[in-house]
Amino acid sequence: MSNVIEARGLKRYYHRGSETVKALDGVDLSIRAGEMVSILGPSGSGKTTLINLLSCLDAPTEGSLIVDGRSVAGLSEDDLVEVRRGLFGFVFQQFALLPTLTVAENVELPLMFLEKRVDPAATREILATVGLADRANHLPRELSGGQMQRVAIARGLIANPKILIADEPTGNLDSATGRAIIDLFKRLAAEQGLAIILTTHNAAFGYEADRVITLRDGKVLKEEMPERQPRIASILRSSSGEKSSFPSAPTFCSTC
Amino acid sequence: MTTQTRKDPYVIRRYLTLAIKNLRRRPVRTGLTVAGVGLAVTVAVSLGGFMLGYSGAIDKSIDMLGFQVMIMAKGCPYEAATMMLKGGTGLLYLPADTYDKVRNDPDIESITPIFIGVAQKQGSSIRDDAGSNFSIITGIDVAGYREMKPWLGFKKGAGYNHGRWFSVGSRDEVVLGFEAAEYEQRKVGDTFYASIAPAGKPDPVMHEFKVVGVLDRTGTQDDGTVFMPIDVAREYFGRPDQLTILGIKLKQFTAFKMREFESRWLKLPEVQVVGLQQVKNTLIGLVSTAQTMIAAVAAIAIIVALIGVINTILMSVHERTSEIGIMKALGARRGAIFELIWIETVIICLAGGVAGSAAAIVGSGVVERAIKAIADLGVSGSVVRITPAVITYAVVGAVVLGFFSGLYPAWRASSMRPVEAIRREI
Repeated sequence: MSNVIEARGLKRYYHRGSETVKALDGVDLSIRAGEMVSILGPSGSGKTTLINLLSCLDAPTEGSLIVDGRSVAGLSEDDLVEVRRGLFGFVFQQFALLPTLTVAENVELPLMFLEKRVDPAATREILATVGLADRANHLPRELSGGQMQRVAIARGLIANPKILIADEPTGNLDSATGRAIIDLFKRLAAEQGLAIILTTHNAAFGYEADRVITLRDGKVLKEEMPERQPRIASILRSSSGEKSSFPSAPTFCSTC
Repeated sequence: MTTQTRKDPYVIRRYLTLAIKNLRRRPVRTGLTVAGVGLAVTVAVSLGGFMLGYSGAIDKSIDMLGFQVMIMAKGCPYEAATMMLKGGTGLLYLPADTYDKVRNDPDIESITPIFIGVAQKQGSSIRDDAGSNFSIITGIDVAGYREMKPWLGFKKGAGYNHGRWFSVGSRDEVVLGFEAAEYEQRKVGDTFYASIAPAGKPDPVMHEFKVVGVLDRTGTQDDGTVFMPIDVAREYFGRPDQLTILGIKLKQFTAFKMREFESRWLKLPEVQVVGLQQVKNTLIGLVSTAQTMIAAVAAIAIIVALIGVINTILMSVHERTSEIGIMKALGARRGAIFELIWIETVIICLAGGVAGSAAAIVGSGVVERAIKAIADLGVSGSVVRITPAVITYAVVGAVVLGFFSGLYPAWRASSMRPVEAIRREI
């Protein structure tokens, strides 16, 4: 499979008064389609800065970044949004659902901004994928944390992105629910060929990924491919970039 | 999935739905902001309705006088004007021979002498409330008066049929205006009592008249008037050689002709020539100060409402900073966020415009009564006229207000960098 993201010498510096903060200081990495990559590291190690750059939410201070075959380093905010549109799906730690919209409306929200017509059947299918087919007309406040996070995942998937960015997706969930979310990610990566980049403090969840990148002080400390995850080898060997249909619905408990 | 443009009605509908749901998130705050805009619009609509209605009421009152020029005793032109337009008690008189001097002026098409007096009602009528204890008695030359006001007709119906003007030489017949008859509860054939104090004599004399006709409603001062033959009125009021006014219709009513006519008759020592355009200008001038003050209040209300709207939307944007960042991450362009916030602002102002206009329509009667209670406007009839045009201007104005007040909050929201907005904790 081809690289959907390729970063070389990626740097992101901030200025705090006269001090220069090196949030990211020369990171090289590449992400392939269908690959699930987790980024580990302590607070302040540069995890969020890295995924902000990889997802084109922010621009690097220095270095080259090629996303889906397009060089994005040096692009303006308006240009970055054009790169982002439809290419990325996002899942955030706080779920970030709009409280006044129903589950279905939240899921369909990206389509509005992408100026695409809603297909109710697709919404139903994707809600079934995350195990929330019967919650389409509920409001977020009527859901548990795990359910809200699954709505956020459905929202991240509705526009058929190539890359799903998940920033601490299990941070607000109990371990059982977090485990279910990670399992869902694994299935999405395997069955849809979706590249998934997630940050987490939970090393156990992190090591469920195909590849684990550990950051410290803005640099890659180590990069590992967990032995018990042989799937990455088959992905790397695969030459097909075709997406399959949505993965089969996972089994969630009634509250997660 | 089909790609649409932001101008597609489907996409616009979705933006509208999202905007409305956002506004419903804080119903009290949104409601108060709408109320603020509504209040400003109510004031503006009421003011617009008053300006329009008052001008129209003056025009109508002047038209319904039937003449364009009045010759009357020297005095305050405003009092003179209001006396003719609305009725009044500050009466001045001119010599009766003025009529003979003026009547043959070559520019006059028609002329009618009018005598106005005030009769006491105490003990003489069915109603005796303190608010209206006198009757305006107008002595007219029937032929000349009818020529000036050909639209005058008699009320029909049970108790009112067979109404007519006075018989030749009658001394005890009156014709009542519509409201005068209603107020006195008199019909054709009833008796009307008037207590009239002749000039120079302290004690009033009670007179008994037969009502021979009740006029249809005209919407003018005629409605509240009691008509009798001019000679009878002059005699009972003890002013056999005096007139109150000469109503004149000129063959050509132009500014030039008016000036010519005026200069010709101003030579008479005791009279003033008042053109009704001048009357109109006088009346409008008298209320223009009040209108300016109300307009200033309306302008302040609009500015306050505008600040309120900006404040509300800015607070809403601030509270939703993280959400806006998420929307941008999800693919919303700067323009999409701008439009969303702008739509919310316009919805608030549109709702305020509609609610304010509705309030102005519902409350127009109260406003009219309040205005008339506060100021003597010098005209009869309705002075507040809220037309579809006034409402349209108000609602469009409110939407324009929304357009402008939404600019800054929308720009602020659209300029947020997603990476910073997402992380913002509110």
